Amino acid sequence: MAKGKPDARKKSDVLQGTLDLMILKTLQGMGPLHGFGIARRLEQLSEEVLRLNEGTVYTSLLRLQQAGWIVAEWGASENNRKAKFYSITKSGRKQLAKETEDWERISGVIGRVLRLASEES
Amino acid sequence: MTGRLRTLWTRLRGTVRREDEERDLEFRDEIEEHVRLLAERYQREGMAADDAVLAARRQFGSTTLLEEDRRDMQVIPALEALRADLIYALRMLRKNPGFAAAAILTLALGIGANTAIFTVCNAVLFKPLPYAEPNRIVTLWERQKDGALGEVAPANFVDWQNSSRSFSAMGAMRARSFASSFVLGGQREASRLAGGDVSSGFFPVLGVRFLLGRNFLPEEDRSGGNRVAILSYPTWRDRFGSDRDIVGKSISLDSQSYTVVGVLPADFRFGSAAADFEPRSQPDVWIPLALDPRKLQRGAHMFHVIARLAPGVTLAQARAELDLIGANLARAYPDQDRDRGIAAVPMADRVTETVRGPLRMLLGAVGLVLLIACANVANLLLSRAAARQTEMAVRVALGASRRRLAQQLLTESLMLAGIGGAAGLLVALAVTRALAPHLPPDLSRAAGMAGDVRVLAFTAVISLATGILFGLAPLVGMRRVSAGESLKQSFRVAGSSHSRLRNVLAVAQISIAIVLLIGAGLMAKSLWALMHVPPGFRADNILTARLSLPPSYSDNKKIVAFERQLLETLDRKPGVQSAGLATYLPLGGLDNDASFIVEGRPPLPVGMYNPAEYRPASAGYFETIGIPVKRGRTFAPADTADAPWVTVINESMARQYWERRDPIGQRIQFGPGDPWRTVIGVVGDVRYEGLDGETKPEMYVPMDQSFNTESGPTLVLRTALDPGAAARELRATVAAMDREIPVDQIQTMKQVVSGSVAQPRFRTVILAAFSILALVMASIGIYGVMNYLVIQRTREFAIRMSMGATRADVLRLVLGRAAALIGAGLCLGLAGSVGLVRVIAGLLFGTAPLDPLAFAAAPTLLAGVALAASYLPASRATRVDPMIALRCD
Repeated sequence: MAKGKPDARKKSDVLQGTLDLMILKTLQGMGPLHGFGIARRLEQLSEEVLRLNEGTVYTSLLRLQQAGWIVAEWGASENNRKAKFYSITKSGRKQLAKETEDWERISGVIGRVLRLASEES
Repeated sequence: MTGRLRTLWTRLRGTVRREDEERDLEFRDEIEEHVRLLAERYQREGMAADDAVLAARRQFGSTTLLEEDRRDMQVIPALEALRADLIYALRMLRKNPGFAAAAILTLALGIGANTAIFTVCNAVLFKPLPYAEPNRIVTLWERQKDGALGEVAPANFVDWQNSSRSFSAMGAMRARSFASSFVLGGQREASRLAGGDVSSGFFPVLGVRFLLGRNFLPEEDRSGGNRVAILSYPTWRDRFGSDRDIVGKSISLDSQSYTVVGVLPADFRFGSAAADFEPRSQPDVWIPLALDPRKLQRGAHMFHVIARLAPGVTLAQARAELDLIGANLARAYPDQDRDRGIAAVPMADRVTETVRGPLRMLLGAVGLVLLIACANVANLLLSRAAARQTEMAVRVALGASRRRLAQQLLTESLMLAGIGGAAGLLVALAVTRALAPHLPPDLSRAAGMAGDVRVLAFTAVISLATGILFGLAPLVGMRRVSAGESLKQSFRVAGSSHSRLRNVLAVAQISIAIVLLIGAGLMAKSLWALMHVPPGFRADNILTARLSLPPSYSDNKKIVAFERQLLETLDRKPGVQSAGLATYLPLGGLDNDASFIVEGRPPLPVGMYNPAEYRPASAGYFETIGIPVKRGRTFAPADTADAPWVTVINESMARQYWERRDPIGQRIQFGPGDPWRTVIGVVGDVRYEGLDGETKPEMYVPMDQSFNTESGPTLVLRTALDPGAAARELRATVAAMDREIPVDQIQTMKQVVSGSVAQPRFRTVILAAFSILALVMASIGIYGVMNYLVIQRTREFAIRMSMGATRADVLRLVLGRAAALIGAGLCLGLAGSVGLVRVIAGLLFGTAPLDPLAFAAAPTLLAGVALAASYLPASRATRVDPMIALRCD
């Protein structure tokens, strides 16, 4: 049970980071959403992310709440059922801006490196 | 960054404060809602209701894992685990009250004893002296040719003070044997005050902050200066009713008026040796030395000198300068200072010198007791580990890592140690309370001992260390715990490694206990030997008391007349066999020596002395205190100042200075101008300095013929009356003669003798207590091991007995096993003792470190007790009913 666990954790960390970023972006773009809404939006953007385990959205939401990047509020859903709505906070926006910038820079660098590599070969 | 901090904070809060159930439910609702919405969507897409729900659940993933993740995220996992372990450990203790009580009691005794001894050591050895920057204070001594440190001559002190640059202050105090003593007047009842004669630099060296008033001014510390005094706190409180306006007022000392200039703080104590710190050894009133620069003596050594190192000066630099000053003085005054150097000893080293050895020994011994306690608790834990084998196996099977199990076991051990430590603090508090009134004088600095931060830290550290030490025991062999095997075989696979460990622990306990028992045996024998040293006098039925003649007895004739009349009156009293007076009493702590020359012998070369103890005594003194006369006669009432001057010497002096010749009739002189004294008798040697001290050459002179007639002689009374009645009789007799004469320090000679061995007795009693504790714990330990062995092998015994073995056979089997363990422990312990007794050899008196009696008695005692302890489980083994034993399980 213990063996191989560290590797699994590392991989999922990367995935979690991506998921966090996508949720933040979603909330920034669409305003307050409940968990189901977020999941549907992510599904539209990329089926891959949520193909197996939709519940991980909630882990991500918890993590983001703990960091203070999003807040949750109880409200009524479209069909008038009680639901928890998540919205991005000011520090969440800041974090998103920073992460986006980082992401773009890194993907830019990686893209250049990959192009260079393919030209050489 | 802020995000990470916030996360940590919410998690910490979550760990400490449990999440309320409402929020758990909310979360579950939120998830359920999500799944329902998913299912509805699938249904809209055309799935059957049941399939839609299943598909939704699949799409969502495991809700259990999600909830677990959520729980983990809201806490700090390590802390959460600790919390769970602590709660579990507490529950385990509550469920096993017998085990908990035994373990905690053992630990409380072990840790408590350690804390108590540490508290004493802390107060006496580790705590800085109660002065400003105490590590800058040094004591200065005259180093004699043989390296011995001695008191300082006044002229030398003045020269040191004037020529040294290494010290910011230097002060002198007259040694106790030469200290002044006053009769305090102007009060309802005359009382004697012990004086402290100090130079004006004395208090500044110590950095004393006066409670009231100030230090002596330099001009007050001059001969002919104003008469001024500083009061000790107890004197100020008891004699002057804590008068806050006392400074500037006059008090009457020896019928002379002194102006009070200051009052010392309540906690002020000073001493040149550990025993001086006893409150009753402290001066009551302090007066200036007021040295007369024209009459400074260089041959009379009577000062204790202290100095404070100047800022930036190291001890080595100061010593170098003192060596130079010493060499200069030796050149300038060859008669007195040749072959004399100057020694600087840090004050802290000086005042702990005599107690360091005994205290370290006790600290070591009590540490051994703690080791035995650890072994006992480890044994208890091993028994429990055996009983919990199944529990552990289940945990492993459920996925607990070995590390996690170890963590839990260690948490339990540390919790035990923590509770034991807390209980130990209480034990230590009780023990130190009980010890405080029985502390020997040289440990008196521990009298007001209290647990401070250092003591608490010590207790915490040893509790932690013991917790880890005994907590490791159940972990031994845990690697071999394999879930399947363990579950299958139930608790019988307690593991051979555990059995072996238990045996090792039992052997270790026995061997440590042996070391302690032998140590205690040696100490006890040494104390016995010390108390049976012939002191040179007969201590039984002797009452001693000090008289303080007021200044109206300034005239020697008056003193002599009073003393004569007092002795005659006392001699006539019924119940009083005889009475005598002396200036210095055996074991009294005061002494004085003088150099003499023998008539007809060539003069001594420069710098050479014939030292001998100088002891004025009255007629009747030798008979009263029981010093045997070997030759000639002792003093008679006729030996007055007008009669020919005489002296009585002891055997050591006769041997040393006359060898085989007869000293009787020979004449000696103390110095030019002193009359010649004829030796009229030789008496037995007396242990004046202590029962373990050497006997020195002594010369007695009649009180009437002493060159400085003492106004505070000590009375000795041989009487059949009980001490209380004799004391009353004595007070009444003195009061009838003169109401103004205080009588104090009334005690029997037996008390004096007993007081002189207070320290050896203290350490012996403590060590004996420790060794008994060790004996009991080791016996409990061997009992535990044998008990376990019997439980474990019940089936085997049952089979043996059903096959025809007798009870005696089984008994022999079990006891044989016990004897093997005990024997191994004894051998190891004896071997260890042979090495360890060297450490305490210096504390032994009249006892060889390898004393055969101690080395025989301790193992015999231990073997007997340990075998008796093993007999209980052994006899239980013989009562096994084969049918029941074989049927169970």
